[in-house]
This record gives sequence, C-alpha cells and structure tokens, in this order.
Amino acid sequence: MKLGIAVKLGLLLATVGVLASGVTGFYAYQASRSLLVASAKAELLTTTKVLTRRITLSREEVSRNLQLLAGHPAAASAALGRSLADEDQMGTLMEQVMLANPSYFQVRLISASDNGLERVRVDRAEDRMVRVRGDDLQEKGHFSYVSSTLKLAAGATFLSRLVINHERGAHAGLDQPSVILATPIQDPQGKTVGVVVINLDLNGVFASLRADLPKDYQLFLANRNGDYVVHPDPSQAFGFDKGRRVFVQDEFEATAALMEGRATSVVTEVQTGRYANAPVVAAFVGRVIKISSDEDRLIVGLAQPLALVLEQADRLGGVILQLVIGLGVASVLLAAIVARAVTRPINSMSTAVQRFANGHQVAKLAIDRQDEIGVLARSFDTMQNEIRQQLAALHENRLELEHLARHDALTGLPNRRAFQERLDHAVARAQRSKQRFALLFIDVDNFKTINDRWGHDGGDAVLKIVALRLNATTRKADAVARMGGDEFVVLLDNPAHREDITAIAEKLLESVRSPILHNGQELQVGFSIGISQFPDDGRTAAELMARADHAMYDAKAAGRNGFRFSSIKGTPSSPTPL
Amino acid sequence: MTDMAPVFSRFFRLVRGLVIALIVPASASALAQDKLRVLTWPGYADPDLVKVFEQRTGSRVEVTFIDSDEVMWQKLSKNKAEDFDVFAVNTAELQRYIQAGLVVPVNTGAIPNIATQLPRFKDLRAIPGLVHDKKVFAIPYTYAEMGLIYDRKQFKEPPTSIRALWDPRYRGKVLLYNGGTHNFSLAAQVLGDTTPFRIDSKEWPAAVEQLISLRRNAQGFYSQPEESVEMFKAGGTALMFANYGSQQVQLLKAAGLEIGYAMPKEGALAWLDCWAITRSNRNAKLAHAWIDYLLEPQPSNALVTRQGLANTTTESQTLRHQDRLQWLEPVEDVERRSMLWERILSGDRAKKVLAP
Repeated sequence: MKLGIAVKLGLLLATVGVLASGVTGFYAYQASRSLLVASAKAELLTTTKVLTRRITLSREEVSRNLQLLAGHPAAASAALGRSLADEDQMGTLMEQVMLANPSYFQVRLISASDNGLERVRVDRAEDRMVRVRGDDLQEKGHFSYVSSTLKLAAGATFLSRLVINHERGAHAGLDQPSVILATPIQDPQGKTVGVVVINLDLNGVFASLRADLPKDYQLFLANRNGDYVVHPDPSQAFGFDKGRRVFVQDEFEATAALMEGRATSVVTEVQTGRYANAPVVAAFVGRVIKISSDEDRLIVGLAQPLALVLEQADRLGGVILQLVIGLGVASVLLAAIVARAVTRPINSMSTAVQRFANGHQVAKLAIDRQDEIGVLARSFDTMQNEIRQQLAALHENRLELEHLARHDALTGLPNRRAFQERLDHAVARAQRSKQRFALLFIDVDNFKTINDRWGHDGGDAVLKIVALRLNATTRKADAVARMGGDEFVVLLDNPAHREDITAIAEKLLESVRSPILHNGQELQVGFSIGISQFPDDGRTAAELMARADHAMYDAKAAGRNGFRFSSIKGTPSSPTPL
Repeated sequence: MTDMAPVFSRFFRLVRGLVIALIVPASASALAQDKLRVLTWPGYADPDLVKVFEQRTGSRVEVTFIDSDEVMWQKLSKNKAEDFDVFAVNTAELQRYIQAGLVVPVNTGAIPNIATQLPRFKDLRAIPGLVHDKKVFAIPYTYAEMGLIYDRKQFKEPPTSIRALWDPRYRGKVLLYNGGTHNFSLAAQVLGDTTPFRIDSKEWPAAVEQLISLRRNAQGFYSQPEESVEMFKAGGTALMFANYGSQQVQLLKAAGLEIGYAMPKEGALAWLDCWAITRSNRNAKLAHAWIDYLLEPQPSNALVTRQGLANTTTESQTLRHQDRLQWLEPVEDVERRSMLWERILSGDRAKKVLAP
C-alpha cells in the first residue's frame, strides 16, 4: 500500500506523541513505584524496630515481676525450705502474678540446694492454676536457667534459649514454645539461695504483639543461629526440635549480615521459595541480648506482601496510564490536524497543477502566505504565468504559420490551397442545399509587360493593389484568392441571377480601370475574367475550375479586359470593350 | 564416518537389546549375575572405588544410598530383599534381618582379606550378634566409638572409667547426651553389668538411681555435636560423654579447646557397621568379592581420610589396641528407656521416675 505524505506525517507525529507520553508515563510510574516501595520499606523497618523495642519492654516487665517475687521477704526462707507458711505465701503471690499475666506458663521458686529442687511451683493447666506439690516437684539444677541464674548478681535476669519445653509435668506449657526468665533470690546476708523462674508462652507473647500489627504483616523470630522460633507457618518454627532445621538466612538471604553482626537491620525483597507466588518485603532487626542468656542475639522480622505495597503504586500507575492514553489520543488528533494543515495547500497546489496541465483555468494559489507553502505557490504562479505566455506566443506562431500556409504572402489573400478547400466546401454545400454559386477566374492582362518594364517591384505593387480592389469590390460572403502569378479567383456565393454575376464582373473590371500608382508612375492594368457556374457548368470543383479557366482564355482571346461565361450552349456574353 | 558413529552405536545397542530380549533369553540372567546391587550409607561406596571394582571383576555395581536405619529396613523387608545383593548394617540392626531370614551366612573363606583385619575384628565370635549357630552373618567394615572427652586443664591424668562422669569433683561440669538408650547402657556399665543392653527388671531402680545422680552431676545435655561444642566452651566443662566420638573431638579442637579423648576401661560404647549378604543375592561370588575388595588398603583408607571414620584393618589414632569397645546391641526396650529418661531429664526423683 502506498502511503500518502499526510498519512506518513500523521503516523510519524502520532508515534512521536504516543511514544513521548508513554515513556514519560513509564518513567514517572517507575520513579513513583520505587519511592513508594522505599517509603514502605522504611515504614516496615520502623515498625520492626518498634516491635523489637516492645519485645524488650515485655521482657523488662517480666523482669520486674521476677524482682517483685525474688524481693519478697518470704522468698529466701521459702527457697531454703524452712517455712511452709512462707512457701504458701509465695504460692499465693505467684498465682496472682499468673492471673495477671496470661502468657505465663509457669512461675517457680527453685532452691539453690537439693539439686535445684522446686520449692514452690504454679503451673497453668487449661483454664486454671495448679499448685504443684510434694513428689511432683522436680530437681532442675541441671538446667542452665537454674545453674546460670545462681551465678548472677541480685536483680539480674537470665534469659534461656527459645525452645519447645519438653520438661515432663509442665501442664499447659508441655511441648509448647517457651522461653524462661529467671532471677536469683538472696537471703538477708546476700547469699544466693534460690531462683525465681517464669516460663513464658512464646506463642502467647507473640500473639499479643501480632494483634497490634496490621493484618497482612507476617511476624518472624529467629535465634542466634537463624533457627526460626516464630514463623507464619508454624511447621517452620522450631525445626531444630524436630531434627530438621529451618533457617531464616535460607529464606531471607540478607539476614546473614545480621547473623554475622555486619548489620543491625536489613530490609529485603524476597520472591523465591514460599514467596515465589506472593513476593514480600521484609525488614529484620538483629537484637543483641544484653542480659545474661544462652541466646546472645535474636532476629526479629516483619514481612508485608509486596502486592500491598505496590497497590498504591498500581493505583498511581492507573492514573498515569489514563493520562498516557489521553495524551496519546490527543497527539494522534493533533498529528491528524497538523498533517492536514501541511498537506492541504500541497494538495490544492497539485490540483492546480493538474488542472493547469489539463488546460483548465488555474485555480487560486495561496500566494499570500508568508511560509514555505507561500514561496512554493509564488514560484508555481510565476512558472505558470511564464508557461502561459510561452504558450500564447506559441499559439500566435502557429496561427501565423497556419495563415502563411493558407495565404499568399504578397497580397494576403487566401492561396490556391486555401481556396481549393473553400471551393470543395462550397461545392458540398451547394449540392446539399441545391444552391448556386459562381466561380470567376481572373487573369491580369499584360502582367508580363508590367514586370518587364517596372521590375518585380512594379509587378508586386500591381498585384497588391489588385487584391485590395478585388476584396473591396466583392461581398463579405464571397471569397477572393490568388491562385499564383497574376491569376486570381473569386467565388460568388449564391448569386440570384446571371445578371448579378455580370454586374459583379463588370464592377471588378471597373475597379481595375483606375490607374495604379507606383513610384510616381501610373500603371494601367486590365482583367480577363472567365466565369463558370454551379451546377450549370459542372458539379465538381475541378470541372468548375477548368470551365472558368477555359472561359478566361476565351475572354483573353476575345480581346482582353472583358469577361466571358463558360457556356456549354456556346452563347458567350459580349465582352465589355475597354 | 564419524557422524555415523553415534547412530551406529545406537543401532547396535538396539539390535543387541533385541537379540537379548528375543533370541537368547537364557543369557539375560548371565548378564544380570554380573550386576551387584549394593544398599549402603553415603561414603561407603564412592564412585571411584566402585569403578575399580567394576573394572577388576568386569561387573556392574548399582549402589543405592540410604540415610537411616528405618529406610534401610523398609527397602530390604519390602520385597524380601529381592532388590539387593549386599548391604551395610550395624551389629545391633543386623539382628532383625537375621531373625527375618533376609540374610544368608557369609563364607569367610571367600574373603581372604579378613586376614588383614585387626585382631578385635578378626575374632568374629567376640563381636555380639555376628555369629549365630556357628555361622557368620556379617563382616565388620567400619565403626565409631563413644569415648570420654576431657579438659586437659582439669584432668592431670586421662579418665580411665566412666565413673568419672559421676565424680562429684566435676559437679555441674559434666556434659551428657540427651538420649535414654545410651545413657541407660552407661548406667548399666557403671553398675558392673556385662550386658548393658539388657537391663533386667531387678536392675531398673538401680539404673534410674545412677542416672538421677548422673543428672545431679550434669552441666547439661546436648543433642547435636555443634551444641555440645557451644556448651563445652561456655560452661567450663571438665568431662563429656562423646556420643559422636571423633567428630566432636575434631570440632572441639577446631574451636581451640585443649581436650583429650579417652576410652573407659568398662568398654566404650561403639557402633560397628558390617557387610551382609541378602538371601536373594544373585551372584554370591561377586558379593564376597565386593566385601573382600572393601577390606583392601585403598577403600579402607578412604573411610579414614574421606569420612573421618575408622576402618578395621589399621588401628585408629584415638584407640589403643588394649582399649575395649562395647559393640552396640539391640536394647531390651527402647520405649521404656526413653520414657524413663524423659522423666529423669525433667528433674523427677526416683519415686516418680519409676512410677507406672
């Protein structure tokens, strides 16, 4: 398909317009998207840090409860196992603490002696408190939450590893994710006589933390090695307890930096593994545990579906897309208008050229315009005028040539060729309309003498004058022609009577009777005229010419300067004497 | 011609396949007999070692690896051992295969390299479970012992008895493995029981008492070797029962700890992996050749250099020839041991531990 310049120009402009708006839109979207993601990441990181702070605060609250219990006047004697009343007092207090803190699995008072025997123990069981007594009390000296805490200064807190509690008889806490906090009990002499221990329900603690987070946030907690202890998918938590370790650094590679202590927080995007279908943005904070602990670092993390972060960006993308489409349509329209504006004058000019070529009158050109189109129009106008002038000259030349071909150069009368046509025409017309006409063959008498005497100039002057006089004497409808030399013919159109012909012949003879001036000399010439008539003397041009010619010779023979009718009947008219 | 070669060889294989399948079915079994189907643990049959055997015997070896006793039992018992010719199994596990009739006796005469084995492995009768009715059912291949790791700074002399674990001088500085089966065996050894894997009903209270007193002496209980290293480093540990043996020795040394490794005079608990031949083996000669080959210096050394395990032909660096090893045997009741152990570990006193 051949595309017009308008289509091409329009397409080009439209493409440029659409591309420009598209590219601008795309980059605007990219930029705003990364800004949004960056701000979402910053927000996520802040939330994670706040969460980490809250975990510390929760721990500090547990520490305060531990202090409260360890600092109670009855604690030391209960630890030494000296007073049942003190043990009961502590038991009551511990039950109250348990009631106030639903995430406590156990509160215990453990002796430094007797292999770390539990003296007072309150367990949570289903929905009630159980005071464990007698033989059900266990020795816990081999657990580091006892042995390590016994070595601590007064008021310090020990934090155990985050584990699944497999200590038999732990009621609700059995086989549950737990963390144990403990503090030493000192007697009035400052000797450590036991420890107070609180078993925390990790799930309970994190459920309450999670409750304050937006619904779509996922919460992670890992220990110093990266083993998950809290994970949105519970089967991924405490893998080490099931003989199949699951590491945060495997799922979120960036957290390796936290593990190695190279960073205190990382923000990462993950779209592999379990997040292949639902990519997430995640922030992790590495929290070094300041208090005495078997753990030295915890990794706290929050993840948010990337889709949610991008939702805003997508909305913005929608607006940008609408803008881009609008701009695109506008640029297409604009391109069409511009293409039209540019090509209309070109088209009108090409129409003008076509019409000019076809010989029509030139259409009006936009020569008043001041732009390139105006220049082109003016150039074209000039060219057009020049062509027109040249054509006119050419036409004139042609007419002249044509005239020359059909007229005698000397006298300006039609020549033999032109007259032949006229005669044929007259014959054809006369035959059709049953009209008549007459042919007068005229020969200048004694022309050779004139030529000899006065030269060719003289002869030419005579011929010119003769021609003028013949024209002047005949009617407009009649035709006068020079047949060559001193011979002329006159065709009389539709004469009414033979007398009319005679009158004209006489008038013709009369017209040359007055002398002709040449170089101050008067020259005298005469005519011999032979006349033939259609249809009496012939029905063809040749016949008529021959008859007229013949009659002219008859007239010459009869003494010149007279006329004679061709007469088949042989009754020649009497010649007019000079 | 070179372009035609693969086509040719494929064509040839096709024809050969057709010939084997249609014309000479009898020879199929002959070919199959040149194939040895091995079921074993990773590291026991490395490809380069297998290749040497294949070239030497003109046979093809098909190795299947397993990573647990249970998987091995499933694979062998499922099809009455029809799918394998030879397999590697520890002495304790071997017993159930013998009882199920899945293994056949080994012809020791067909394994000349037995002569190169250390005396403690040559005397097959001294290793419990290998010989039944005067028939040998497996040939020892590799082993690992569970000795005592001690802190050189706290021990002038290496400990000589597992009683050291109970020594009050090391109270709170003894690391133990969190597992009932081995711990009860330790308790039985301390009680002077010559059959620590079979605690009879009268012995239970004493064994529990022993373990409670062991618990009272403990710094803690580990499950994984890495965990034991961390606890060792953190707790001023004096003595540790090395459930993972030389692996822990290496880890602790790598961690920069000055430790020693000693075998108790009661005999260090040790597992011993042996090669056994299935009842459905298709080429007994080839199966025996395989076992004989693996006792050669090259495969034997590969166990030491590549796997950190001990072989049966050269004395281990951690072991003196006079050291006693107590080869593991199936225990009388795994569930009971582990239930009682859980109670002990939780801190229960004897009365509660022994409660029904």
